[in-house]
Amino acid sequence: MTEVRPEEVSAILRRQLAGFEKEADIYDVGTVLQVGDGVARIYGLSKAVMSELIEFPHGVFGMVLNLEEDNVGCILFGESREIKEGDTVKRTGRVASLPVGESMLGRVINPLGQPVDGRGPIGSGQMMPVERKALGVIQRQPVKEPLQTGIKAVDAMIPIGRGQRELIIGDRQTGKTAIALDTIINQRTTQTEKARREGIKPVYCIYVAIGQKSSTVAQVVDTLQQEGAMEYTTVIAATATDPAPMQYIAPYAGATLGEYFRDSGRHALVVYDDLTKQAQAYRQVSLLLRRPPGREAYPGDVFYLHSRLLERASKLSDELGGGSLTALPVIETQAGDVSAYIPTNVISITDGQIYLEPNLFNSGIRPGINVGISVSRVGGHAQIKAMKKIAGRLRLDLAQYRELEAFAKFGSDLDKATLATLRRGARLVELLKQGQYVPMPVEKQVVSIFAGTNGYLDEIPVEHVERFEREFLEMMELKHADMLQAIAEAKDLTDDLVNVLKTILRQFTDSFKSAVGA
Amino acid sequence: MKNVRVARRYAQALMAIAGERNVVDEVARDLEAIGKLLLASRDLRALVASPVIREGKKKAVFRELWDTRVDRATMAFLLLLAHKQREHLIAEVVEEYQALRDERQGILDAEVRSAVPLSAAQERELRTRLARSTGKNVRVRASVDPALRGGLVVRIGDTVVDASVRRQLERLRELLREDVTNTHA
Repeated sequence: MTEVRPEEVSAILRRQLAGFEKEADIYDVGTVLQVGDGVARIYGLSKAVMSELIEFPHGVFGMVLNLEEDNVGCILFGESREIKEGDTVKRTGRVASLPVGESMLGRVINPLGQPVDGRGPIGSGQMMPVERKALGVIQRQPVKEPLQTGIKAVDAMIPIGRGQRELIIGDRQTGKTAIALDTIINQRTTQTEKARREGIKPVYCIYVAIGQKSSTVAQVVDTLQQEGAMEYTTVIAATATDPAPMQYIAPYAGATLGEYFRDSGRHALVVYDDLTKQAQAYRQVSLLLRRPPGREAYPGDVFYLHSRLLERASKLSDELGGGSLTALPVIETQAGDVSAYIPTNVISITDGQIYLEPNLFNSGIRPGINVGISVSRVGGHAQIKAMKKIAGRLRLDLAQYRELEAFAKFGSDLDKATLATLRRGARLVELLKQGQYVPMPVEKQVVSIFAGTNGYLDEIPVEHVERFEREFLEMMELKHADMLQAIAEAKDLTDDLVNVLKTILRQFTDSFKSAVGA
Repeated sequence: MKNVRVARRYAQALMAIAGERNVVDEVARDLEAIGKLLLASRDLRALVASPVIREGKKKAVFRELWDTRVDRATMAFLLLLAHKQREHLIAEVVEEYQALRDERQGILDAEVRSAVPLSAAQERELRTRLARSTGKNVRVRASVDPALRGGLVVRIGDTVVDASVRRQLERLRELLREDVTNTHA
């Protein structure tokens, strides 16, 4: 802290006092009837409106959620212990909102926009309401640009477009957050000069942590910092220690911040990690406000809770600047039960899902994506041509492999074609394995999958596939960087490129085979 | 909270009857007297609140106390309350009835707190000003609160007009604090 000079103080005081007129302050008040568990009932406040902020004593704020005949139901965003029955509360006249702007990037904030990273206040003037209506049909257009996750399995078979909503669903400890984080980290490439030349616009990221341990959030922030991803990322944290109302509004705050970027013609990605916890927080406040419970004790409007949130993801029409807001909601299932209430709801709202399975994950297939039941309903239009050309084949090969896999376990008497399919499939599965925090640029994904689907790996032993890929990509970077560059720029695999690639691969495969003695 | 809601229903019914028979003010006077008596007499309060005393006994007491002194509508109402076993709500009903009558006659209650007692002229001036700004007749209930340090606070319904020195000081403090945090941002 810099020293404040006495004359500076006097100057500030004089300036403030000059503009300080003695005028009456007019406000509406109410009285606390009942308080506890993060909710309060207030008598009076007859003019309060829905989702308006209410000021309680001790600097605690609340939000109106229930308007009844003679009282108002509020959720509290702070410690409810200090508030007593009979306390006087004030209307603020504004609905729950948070400051938005570029200055939010690189920061960790709570859902009300206050910094929680201990790095001082955030200077941002513009306030936007947390709850906003989703855009209509006229303002939108279909998704068309890809949002590269840097994960081979996803970008090839479950492509995500900018403005899409793709659900990440799976049991605990199956790598849901890892996929989301890798995607955020991979957006680093969109911020570079190279991306600008290729016509790829930068993507700003927002990671909303709902009901997680504070230590987990700290770890995420640390990882993002180490990977250089915090520069274009905001973390909104409503941890397990925060009151349930905070956890309930956190995703909406994330969407609002994302909409700021979208509405100014830019691209944003919001990760909601995870919506199961948010639904639980909402169930808690709903029950405390005495709303009738429904299935699994969730209130009747729990579908609307998620649909209005995910509808805010969108791709704007060109007249409105063509910005986009992509949403990656995360849902945690219990023992793979996707037919529970919240998972079915969110599956039906989103444009597809990435389904993660613990047995795949535990057998070493990481990311543990079950490509058979994972889909992207709209992302195909956004995929680059080069990827589209090779991904169709990949999907087909893997589907055939899965079909024969169980069957092959019985007998050894298999015909040649079956053996070839199995051989190809095992290598493709191996090829799609990828470590955490190592997102791969799309041009490298293309050449690597090209090698797999065109049979160049068939002769390589399965345990050498990973080494093959690594050395092949190293070689491509060293000797054929122009080729990778060409794919990245043209976004297509022309026949000429295919022929060159085939020659390169033939040579490399031969030398690799002799190197490993296969 | 529930009690207020029930009391309001009864008060509305009484008001409707009184309005039809043109005895709104008489009933109001009766209720006020009843309210006062309730406050003054501990025994009466105990009688009204007790669930043990039978309906018939209560009715008899009500009749003896008020039969000749109050309007027919008021008496019938008291007996109805006893019959429905809602007599413990009398105090609330009295309050609600007064509120309904004020609303009907366009009277607003203004609670005025000032640091020093208001002179009669000041109070009159305040009343005419408040009447002009609200467009209704204003009944001023004045009280003195030295903690305000100066100026006055007027509360009409849920709305507070705060022109006290205490509030001014609070605002000044907020302003200065904001300025300091902003300079160091």
